[in-house]
Amino acid sequence: MSCGNPHATSCTEVVASISAYVDGEVTAEEYQVITVHLRECPPCGHEEQAHRAVKGLIVRAVRGTQAPTTLHARVRATFWSTEGQ
Amino acid sequence: MSADLDSPETGDGEANSVLVTDAELASIFESEALAYLDQLYGTALRMTRNQADAEDLVQETYTKAFAAFRSFEQGTNLRAWLFRILRNTYINSYRKAQRQPYSTSADELSDTQLLEVNSRAPGGARSAEIEALERLGDPEIIEAMNSLPEDFRTAVYLADVEGFSYKEIAEIMETPVGTVMSRVHRGRKSLRSLLAGYEGANAVGGEQ
Repeated sequence: MSCGNPHATSCTEVVASISAYVDGEVTAEEYQVITVHLRECPPCGHEEQAHRAVKGLIVRAVRGTQAPTTLHARVRATFWSTEGQ
Repeated sequence: MSADLDSPETGDGEANSVLVTDAELASIFESEALAYLDQLYGTALRMTRNQADAEDLVQETYTKAFAAFRSFEQGTNLRAWLFRILRNTYINSYRKAQRQPYSTSADELSDTQLLEVNSRAPGGARSAEIEALERLGDPEIIEAMNSLPEDFRTAVYLADVEGFSYKEIAEIMETPVGTVMSRVHRGRKSLRSLLAGYEGANAVGGEQ
């Protein structure tokens, strides 16, 4: 799981932070360090791509999901009927 | 900021005034909360994995949210508040009743299962893995999602589809941020591992 080259941050640390990195949940400094690492380390770069790919697939698979129109009506009825009680 | 989703009674923001009539309250609720119905339904569908339960869950969520809406603090995070009610309602009313044909607990995703993907293909074969992932159909993605334990499925869904921050997900799922980070990470890795299995199946005799 390493390209064999020395890095400022270990591959283990980088891989553990990959989800947080692709979700924009790392600090600015962490972002900088990880970005540099990913550029110089193809195996870790691949981890990043795979996480982005999975994220993208999920979004694609559920896109356009809409509640049935009958549910909109049912929900409206619940709180308008509660009113006045 | 940490008071975003705290129970309305303990917050120091302004709750919907007691002077507001029920009809006015219903009107405010309708204009502000109903906009999230499709998002809540999409999430409920992934939680319950079936349409009938998802519809009932969303309806129950709105009923509870409206009942509590008088004490909701205007100006705080209404969307996350609704999602938290959705998740609590699911936990209390549906999760126990639903049969979980796969694993039931977040802890059951084994590290060996997760590590498998990493050691699978060396160097050059890896971009082939991503190309193969991207050829998978939506039904396979949904099937893989559905087979994740609910804690993982929901954390990944809220991050990827609803775009909630880890902090918001922590509040919705009532769990520490570190746990959210771990669930999202392990959930995605597990999905990748499951999908690699589908790829393998598809690759047999499949060439395009």
